[in-house]
Amino acid sequence: MAKKQSYGACPGCGKDNLSRDEVGINIKLLGENIEKPMCIPCLAEYLEISQDDLFDKISEFKAQGCKLFG
Amino acid sequence: MEAVKRIYADHAATTKLCEAAFKAMLPFLRDEFGNPSSLHSWAKEPRSAINVAREKIAQCINAEPEEILFTSGGTEANNWAIKSTGGTLYVSSYEHHSVLNSANSEAVRGRELVIIKPKMGGYIMPRNLSVLKSGTGLVSIMSANNEIGTTNPVRLLSETAHDKGYLFHTDAVQMLGHLKVDVKDWGVDYLSASAHKFNGPKGIGFLYCRKGAPLQSFLDGGSQESGLRAGTENVAAIVGMAAALEFNCSQIARQSFRLERLAASLCDGISRIKKDAHFPGRDIMPQLPGFVSVSFPGCSAESLLHLLDLKGVAVSAGAACNSRKVKTSHVLKAIHLPRKLAESTIRISLGYENTDDDVSAIIDALKFALKHNAT
Repeated sequence: MAKKQSYGACPGCGKDNLSRDEVGINIKLLGENIEKPMCIPCLAEYLEISQDDLFDKISEFKAQGCKLFG
Repeated sequence: MEAVKRIYADHAATTKLCEAAFKAMLPFLRDEFGNPSSLHSWAKEPRSAINVAREKIAQCINAEPEEILFTSGGTEANNWAIKSTGGTLYVSSYEHHSVLNSANSEAVRGRELVIIKPKMGGYIMPRNLSVLKSGTGLVSIMSANNEIGTTNPVRLLSETAHDKGYLFHTDAVQMLGHLKVDVKDWGVDYLSASAHKFNGPKGIGFLYCRKGAPLQSFLDGGSQESGLRAGTENVAAIVGMAAALEFNCSQIARQSFRLERLAASLCDGISRIKKDAHFPGRDIMPQLPGFVSVSFPGCSAESLLHLLDLKGVAVSAGAACNSRKVKTSHVLKAIHLPRKLAESTIRISLGYENTDDDVSAIIDALKFALKHNAT
């Protein structure tokens, strides 16, 4: 069984235990080699987009059956 | 937060219905609902509209009206042509899946199948057909590739196939309505087309079948389409397809020049913001106007696509993943693009509504996406 990768805390605000959706959206948008995924508010600020945009994207990926999301 | 202007730059996937097609379709969506096969007067207008549409389409590709057979789209037309012939089947490895999978299903039934590899730049030249043994069967090579926009010398390929005794089919789905298509000049036996790729409605296309070329019944039932493809016709879609094709063909000279200028400006802008950007297929042979396939070494195409989407720009990617496993396009593999480059390749396909301002906005959005891509 593959070992669950640990990404640590959000580099923006220090939030711990990022959810599967948060890690997934970081991978989808920033690339699979992302080392320090951000929480939703910090990622939205970093990309200069709204949090709703990110939630919409997460819903789209889930609807497509992407296994990165919970 | 400022509202994002949406820019559609994925015209190779599908196009917006043009005004001419929309207007032509309207009466047949409600008031002129008669069945074209009926014997009473309600059939007159729909039947006449189908005949006129067939004539218009034939004129646009220099065919005879009876050589045009309506289908549900390009996929059906490709299946029909391939499955109507016997003998050895030669298809290129970068064809659309509707050709490759039809060919594979023929092979499963025992038909000999030979795959032809394109040249590295993404073209098929007559010398690529030197693998053809003298015999009978079908050669199927697309007119233009749907992922990299490269065009093939169809007339020369068709001649080569005929010289060896083979029938010739071309999937012109991506080219028709954007560059001139002349079935008599090309000498093809079959040609497939799909309306939604040239600003017509979805769910309708046609197969051109040269008079005398073999064609088997595709759907059994009534006498529609000379008894070869039964089923009540989708009159509105047929009429819309003819109007769209007629309109697009009248615009080819003007639009191809304009779109090529926009594509060149886009390539310049991309090269300025990413010096090592690579443009597969953009070298020897002409490309479809407005078509830019571009690889960004070290970036993830899928991430770029999503970041561009967040900035309102719609493009497509040569690779996508469902988990951590990236699935690379069979076209980019077939033209021998290194895997890493293929995984960083996006397709930007401009269309009639795109402007110089759109190109500037796409470049700005790309700058943003490249800055944030961490792969």
